[in-house]
Amino acid sequence: MGKNNQQDKAARPPRVIPSYPSERLNPNLVEVPATAREDMRVAARIWADEELWKQISRDRTLLQLVNVSTLPGITGTAQAMPDAHEGYGFPVGGVAAFRARDGIISPGGVGYDINCGVRLLASEIQADELGHARLEEIVHDLARAIPSGTGKGSHLQLKGQDLERVLAEGCSYLEERGLAMPDDLDTIEGRGSLPWADPSGVSERARQRGGSQLGSIGSGNHFVEVQRVDKVFDLHAAGVLGLRQGQLVILIHTGSRGLGHQVCTDWVRSMDAVMTRHGISLPDRELACAPFESPEGKKYFGAMCAAANFAFSNRQAITYAARQVFRRALKEDGDLRVIYDIAHNMAKLERHGDEDLLVHRKGATRAFGPSHPETPEAYKEVGQPVFIPGSMGTASYVLVGTDEGFNLSFGSTCHGAGRAMSRTAAKKVQKGHEVRKALEDRGIVVRCSSIGELAEEAPHAYKDVDQVVNVVHEAGLARKVARLVPLGVIKG
Amino acid sequence: MNERWHRWVDHTSEVQLQVAAESLGGLAAEAGQALGLLLLRGAAPEPSGPSRELAVDSVDREALMVDWLNEILFVAETELWVPVELEILESSPTHLRAQARGVPVEDPPVHVKAATFHGLRVEEEDGGLKAEVIFDV
Repeated sequence: MGKNNQQDKAARPPRVIPSYPSERLNPNLVEVPATAREDMRVAARIWADEELWKQISRDRTLLQLVNVSTLPGITGTAQAMPDAHEGYGFPVGGVAAFRARDGIISPGGVGYDINCGVRLLASEIQADELGHARLEEIVHDLARAIPSGTGKGSHLQLKGQDLERVLAEGCSYLEERGLAMPDDLDTIEGRGSLPWADPSGVSERARQRGGSQLGSIGSGNHFVEVQRVDKVFDLHAAGVLGLRQGQLVILIHTGSRGLGHQVCTDWVRSMDAVMTRHGISLPDRELACAPFESPEGKKYFGAMCAAANFAFSNRQAITYAARQVFRRALKEDGDLRVIYDIAHNMAKLERHGDEDLLVHRKGATRAFGPSHPETPEAYKEVGQPVFIPGSMGTASYVLVGTDEGFNLSFGSTCHGAGRAMSRTAAKKVQKGHEVRKALEDRGIVVRCSSIGELAEEAPHAYKDVDQVVNVVHEAGLARKVARLVPLGVIKG
Repeated sequence: MNERWHRWVDHTSEVQLQVAAESLGGLAAEAGQALGLLLLRGAAPEPSGPSRELAVDSVDREALMVDWLNEILFVAETELWVPVELEILESSPTHLRAQARGVPVEDPPVHVKAATFHGLRVEEEDGGLKAEVIFDV
């Protein structure tokens, strides 16, 4: 084994952060014109105020967004949300729409954690009805009922054709199995069951890697939080969603686990091998893609939808476990209602104007307004709910989509606070046990499988979620409804 | 270049591995062992149990490095076994076969989703080879 940290053996070249001409279109929007680089097909737009624009310009987010703007069939503008930061291939916080008839689909434009997303559950009780000891008990029981950590599997045993049906049918199958209540599916994006799912594109390796992980959180920035509705900005919208000041709620943030990671790995590899045949050349190999109408494009889309169904089902299985804990602890007051479940790593086939588009949202959330047909009946008055989790221990937000946002950003908004600091840098600022103590000093109950990862996900590693949310609110992409603060954190 | 080395470089949300060695086989061994160490959060235990073979085939040298590292991630997550010593038995720009010794783990302490093609480089440098790979973590 060689040596690590070889500064003397080969001087590290400075990272090149290219700059592009840009114009501020309004206080919350900057445009890089399509003429900024020769190979751009459309302009790039970044939703950011001055402060966030400075932060976004510090890494290679813009370079990655400009690369996205070169992809075949892209329409409108390539966009970055205010929480955007450098990723791999697409920037995290990126939104790009491609014409279905002659555009591409890109696994790297969805990401490895297919349908990573957020689900909010509303309890019947006010948070202050629980004392601290009772809260600790509930968080402890949730941590026991919901496995967390890298390879941790589920308490659910999938047998025979179970996995196949989860991939094909998503939450509909979980409802049949008694793991979902009849009303749950009405308030899940796509009813938690995407019709284009084709499990035949999900490899045996993907099934091996993640098939046993249904009902588990995983690791990284994934979590389950017990929260309190801290502030209501829009009383009417909050009422329609069934939220009230002081209410106890549960926020679940996880995705398709190892199964989704392997689906993406498999398909980036497959598309990388066929791009030349399709006459596609790219500025970055991770943007590997194929025409949506090609056999490879269709097959990946089917596999991605199957992995998305797995992710919706994962959050549903966690909901089932949370319901059991709450009913045991609170008896008849222990009901938990699904307010909504929303993806933030996905490519969706959507109608925009006269065109069917493949809208890639990587670290971005769909945010449809009141008049969109896919907004659930119960929320037609106010728009589709959107959840923006803050960093661990900070506030999260509930918003609703707007009709205006459909035209501005393909009906998309941000997905979180967005990283501002590398994991190594975050650990240098504060150690895991210090982060834990800081949270506990604020009365937050913490259960985590890795103290080291606690430091990596500490609040100082992220942008200010309040500022990110204010930009999307001011820009009209989504409207603030309520702010949630954590009482208990279960982290992978 | 006679000495193999690697280092991990900061990235806003992911991690980048830079690795150098005298040959493609050496590069794969060094990169694989570096990833094993990362998965074990820097602890380097003595390998235990029998050795096993790992092999990948790819379209070119760059893809080979990504596929090789993804193979290690797959084995670590599905078999709860992390390689710590790698002896490359065969190597060409499109093929690798290695004898691996490793350690069983209850749960890989560090989570890595995938090795990516983003910013991927495998190039001749200083009479040997140098590679850069970004991981989604």
